[in-house]
Amino acid sequence: MPSTTAAAEKLLLQMVDDYTQREISPQDMAMDAAGDFPEGFLAKLTETGFLGIMLPQEFGGAGFGPEVTATVLNHIARGNASTAVTLEGHFKTIDQILKFGTPALQKQLLPSATERIFAFSMTEASGGSNPMGISSTATREGNHWVLNGDKIMITNGGLAEVYCVLVKTAPHELSVFVVDQDMPGFSFGKREDFIGLRGTPVGEIVMDHIIVDDDHLLGKVGDGGLIGDSAHDDARILMGAVLTGIMEHELKIATDYAKERKAGNTPLTDLQVTHRKVADIALRKETTKLLYQRAAQLKAAGQPYSEEAAMAKAHGSRAAVSAGDDTLQILAGYGYSREYPVEHLIRDARAMEIAEGTVEKMRSAIATAEFNK
Amino acid sequence: MKIVVCIKQVPETNDVKIDPVTHNLDRRGLAGVMNPFDKNAIELALTLKDSRDDVQVALLTMGPDDYAESLREGMAMGADEGYLLSDRAFAGADTLATGYVIAQALKKIGDADLILFGRQAVDADTGQVGPIVAEFLHQPQITYAASLRLSGANEVTAERLLEDTKQTLVAQLPAVVSVRSELNTPRYPTPRNIQLSFAKPLTVWHHDDLDLDDSRLGQAGSPTIVTKVYAPEPVKRELTPLTGTPSDAASQLITALKNRQLI
Repeated sequence: MPSTTAAAEKLLLQMVDDYTQREISPQDMAMDAAGDFPEGFLAKLTETGFLGIMLPQEFGGAGFGPEVTATVLNHIARGNASTAVTLEGHFKTIDQILKFGTPALQKQLLPSATERIFAFSMTEASGGSNPMGISSTATREGNHWVLNGDKIMITNGGLAEVYCVLVKTAPHELSVFVVDQDMPGFSFGKREDFIGLRGTPVGEIVMDHIIVDDDHLLGKVGDGGLIGDSAHDDARILMGAVLTGIMEHELKIATDYAKERKAGNTPLTDLQVTHRKVADIALRKETTKLLYQRAAQLKAAGQPYSEEAAMAKAHGSRAAVSAGDDTLQILAGYGYSREYPVEHLIRDARAMEIAEGTVEKMRSAIATAEFNK
Repeated sequence: MKIVVCIKQVPETNDVKIDPVTHNLDRRGLAGVMNPFDKNAIELALTLKDSRDDVQVALLTMGPDDYAESLREGMAMGADEGYLLSDRAFAGADTLATGYVIAQALKKIGDADLILFGRQAVDADTGQVGPIVAEFLHQPQITYAASLRLSGANEVTAERLLEDTKQTLVAQLPAVVSVRSELNTPRYPTPRNIQLSFAKPLTVWHHDDLDLDDSRLGQAGSPTIVTKVYAPEPVKRELTPLTGTPSDAASQLITALKNRQLI
């Protein structure tokens, strides 16, 4: 008999595959066209318990570990990447509250994470790759902190109800606080009109004199850089999983089409040029899968995983764009048509060459880690 | 109130091979999933559980050890406990021998008010085990229920869809009911309930745990003999069109039937 853990994970993935096939995949094209999740889509996802997959059982979640959580997003992304990325943004935020939140904050907030979406926000108008350039602030007034500023391009911005926000607590000091949409002074701003991952809302929040107590500070004052890096690391593993799912979708489209289509009298499956492209797509998919799984294994084992997480995203994002390009070329005119999903898979994958740190920053992080060995 | 839902694990694939010796389905080595129609029976039981405080839902299946996976899935949907009947002596059973063991297990469970089945299993497609269990237990049975409600302290009312009418049946409890797949949409097991399902009781009963007549078990206790499995050739029939007005067509039909001495 398999272990209880293995049996539970098998049952979970069976349910996820069933749910993805019946509830998520059929909405993929419509979601891209509408630029939003369909009505009732997130309510059913929430009701079915997806928001609590990695939340510890003591807070009402299922308590699955990093490896199976990443695999779940991999499987969901086979049907639709936006759904997987919305969950990625939620999970990475929960992870930071678990790592750096006080017990009181965890007890207050985390039970609601099975029903409310959480988000982590770093970027401001000054850019996403320059944390010290932000202008949002938290100032000490009496026993409280007062938060002011605008945060933009937040994954799940406008949809999430709880936000971890990176602010300055001194000119060269970054800290992270947790704010709730119900707090006085909180408001939503502009929603971005991005070309990919169009189901996932990406938007702005405005903090106008939001007052929070010390329990809403993650870690210590000045830990902002550390917590931001941690959030990036956790997100990058999950993005590697999402990118693997996109490539599995691309590979299926490419092979299904090649098995049916002829060029003249020659089946596409008999052409070396098709072999080359299909093999490259499969190689890119499999290498990304190994990278994200390796990073997730290290995380589960309590080992450092920052470099491996950066590798999963740096390799996976370009790989998925290239795999999409090869898929498009196999389908030729049909691949270039909006009637088929290939073009939107390329746009979806392209987002992850930028989000959670550009691929250029990933390479810099990988190189630095290698120099330090 | 105790509801027992009898479920089956079936091969995940439609590409099931036939054993060349026994001509039975060869399920060896195939990954299994819960029979999809059984999820409708579980959903019905859970809906009744949701509507009252006193309902306990148990699942019962017969098969190898790995059939426990389907019991866990049903418990993750919300059932309270599971029973697995597993013994080499039960292997090779047809619907009669299967129904016998299940009925004996239900007698041991003892206090089931309502016993539910899906309409049929997708691998063998017989739909026979439910009615056979009802006969062994001498309980009233309703097959292919399209709706079901508890209509009194000790009775259920079910609706059956017949060719051109609906039939409403009332049965005293305890009773056996098989349900149509159109009855409901089964819920998904939630991730949390999947984890929690492993803390729910799963009882495994072997041959010696039940009061059984060995002559009724397994292949030896199965009167069904599969001599050949084949897809029948479609029969081409001669068609005689009836033409003209409805009255003309009726006359032609009566003449044709008289000529063949059918009326």
